[in-house]
Amino acid sequence: MTGGSGGTCPRPPASISDYGLLGDTRTAALVAADGGIDWLCVPRFDGEPLFGRLVGGPDAGTFRVGPGRPATVVERRYRQHTTTLETTWAVGSGRLTLTEAMVAEISGRLLPTTLIVRRLSAEEEAVDIVVEFDPRLGARHSRPRVHRRRHALVCEWGSLAVSLASTPELTVEPGRPTSITVRPGHAVTLVLAVAHREPLIHVEPAAAWELLRADENRWRAWAAEIDGSLPFREHVVRSLLTLRLLTYSPSQAPVAAPTTSLPEDPGGVRNWDYRYVWPRDASIGVSAFLSVGKPEEAHGFLAWLLHASRLQRPRLPALLTLHGRHVPAERALPGWPGYLGSVPVRIGNDAAGQHQLDGYGWVVDAAWAFAQKGHLLYNETWRAVRGFADLVARHWQQPDAGIWEVRTPGQHVHSKLMGWLALDRALRIADTHPLSDRQRRRWQMARDAIATEIRTRGFDPTAGSYVRSYGSPDLDAALLVLPLLDMDSIESPRVRGTINAIRDRLSAGGPLLYRYPPGSDGFPGAEGAFLPCSFWLVQALARTGRRAEAVDLFQAMLEHANPLGLYAEELDPATGAHLGNYPQTLTHAALIQAALAIRDAPAIDPEPA
Amino acid sequence: MDWAGWALFGLVATAALTAALIAAQLAGLTRLDLPLVLGTLVTEDPDRARVIGFFIHLCAGQGFALGYAATFALLNRATWWIGALFGILHVAIALTVLLPLLPGVHPRMASLRAGPASTAVLEPPGLFALNYGVQTPAVTAVVHVMYGVVLGLLLSAD
Repeated sequence: MTGGSGGTCPRPPASISDYGLLGDTRTAALVAADGGIDWLCVPRFDGEPLFGRLVGGPDAGTFRVGPGRPATVVERRYRQHTTTLETTWAVGSGRLTLTEAMVAEISGRLLPTTLIVRRLSAEEEAVDIVVEFDPRLGARHSRPRVHRRRHALVCEWGSLAVSLASTPELTVEPGRPTSITVRPGHAVTLVLAVAHREPLIHVEPAAAWELLRADENRWRAWAAEIDGSLPFREHVVRSLLTLRLLTYSPSQAPVAAPTTSLPEDPGGVRNWDYRYVWPRDASIGVSAFLSVGKPEEAHGFLAWLLHASRLQRPRLPALLTLHGRHVPAERALPGWPGYLGSVPVRIGNDAAGQHQLDGYGWVVDAAWAFAQKGHLLYNETWRAVRGFADLVARHWQQPDAGIWEVRTPGQHVHSKLMGWLALDRALRIADTHPLSDRQRRRWQMARDAIATEIRTRGFDPTAGSYVRSYGSPDLDAALLVLPLLDMDSIESPRVRGTINAIRDRLSAGGPLLYRYPPGSDGFPGAEGAFLPCSFWLVQALARTGRRAEAVDLFQAMLEHANPLGLYAEELDPATGAHLGNYPQTLTHAALIQAALAIRDAPAIDPEPA
Repeated sequence: MDWAGWALFGLVATAALTAALIAAQLAGLTRLDLPLVLGTLVTEDPDRARVIGFFIHLCAGQGFALGYAATFALLNRATWWIGALFGILHVAIALTVLLPLLPGVHPRMASLRAGPASTAVLEPPGLFALNYGVQTPAVTAVVHVMYGVVLGLLLSAD
């Protein structure tokens, strides 16, 4: 092994799908295929970026370890049923492999809250590598105070400190690439530890590697508990692992995505901060985890939902922080160049103040999923559900921002459907839980009134389908929830007509769908196909007995995953590029739901498509 | 030392504190629910936990009231404002020491270091219990000052 420091390493921007996810269920890092960690917020998902190059440019910091000269990635994968990422490059006639993960299970042990382990090993011949460690904290890319203590490099910013240790010991300087040679049989291990408002805990690289291996065993055991009869099981397990990595363990809240401002329209303004929690995602997660044999995760999601919404009950906020607090107001980070020039880079999210009627439907449906599995709801949970149902019964006629969070409220048919769902599922729960006759009658009347209004004002008889909002000819892919509700029979021409119309008129080519007609949301610029909608279509097809079509579509969607099985929110139908924040909880939850729908669908199609 | 006063007025002050905290919760000012937090040390069911937690809280309140009564006896005077000052000290310790330490001993409370194996579902309070809402420190301060004032007033009138 030889050492030396070189100049800077200019790097072209990686495509979104080039990134792999490392996570510890408290925060997450994105690693490019060249070995660069270009995104990591500390000490949790919504903390300040420590490495922000992804949307902050070269001044926002990175931590790259990889080949010192151009190399080809020959394999990139997660070790089976774990969260350990392996990237192998061909370098000359040798091979270099980077194996890395964050240590997730630290409870009850003297370990740092964030611990990243990265090991480089060479095969066939010695390989020159580069270590580029440039931590910059926060919106201003603050440089640290740097010390060398014991065998580690320590970087400090007041209450936050980061240490970098390695075996063999390297002389790494922040912001200055270090070149070394890795020889076969002599791996290099680097360990990054983060301390926030607590002393740094140093972990020897050899011990950190053992922690990584122990974590792998825990993840394998976790995956082994997942229902073995699932179709496309490997893909579903990867989505479940991703969903779990994006669930903040201290509160059990699923973050929508670990990133902010990855653009829906590269170069445009559709850049949002997704490092918060949408009750909708948590509700879908409840059903998904329950249905695959993971009741504890489902219970955690439901507990978070009820705890987080407590201050504002019976109103359900559209989104909350990881700890259930108000989401900060949206603001742009000055001087941040954005991903491929997509500005502004935003933190905070103004959708938090919106009224979104559909949220109540998702949450009450999650409680119903729980009750349906034979779990009796606690009195407190049932009180909360009753409060949500009462609010829907009183306010369902008001316009809302809808699932797509348009900034001008309207009479969205999907929202009304979800309002109907909230009341219907609350009534079903009431079959086994106490409810006064008066309240029951009020809910029944409101539920029936919603159904009547949807059928009269939300249906276009000419097109034979439900529409996006009252009086509009447009479609909305969110209406694909229709066959899941039981408002109209799944054999109903209205249901079939809506599914077929969405498939035809919102098609973005192949299995892809736009969520609504492009350009109809009031924001400048275009957007891609919305990936959860395609999985909702799979679900709708499977639910209405068109299993073969559902399977074909699901398989086609799997082709659009990145090589690691990860999905963003959207996809450019022309180039296949992933768009939007990444990886996305909603997309992965929808994938799981789609696979479950295929599992539960009748084996024989009752009629051809 | 007024033992009878401590026994009775400690209960009164703790009941007043608990009632004020519950009122603040119902008014949407905080998610801090001390009976729930304490009761879930014993049971997972939130409704039963609240009942058990209420009695645990009464016992804890008696313990703190003993400290107040003993200090009043040492000072040889008990007034509402001395009680209020003790209340400020009490809440400072509760918010910066007791609540943040709770995840270390509470079997159903996640800590900020919780990982995938954690099945605990009670959210940790965090520094100043801010995880339970931004107004939580203010609410907690008010109810503890009230506790001190009640004890100061009742023990001075005794």
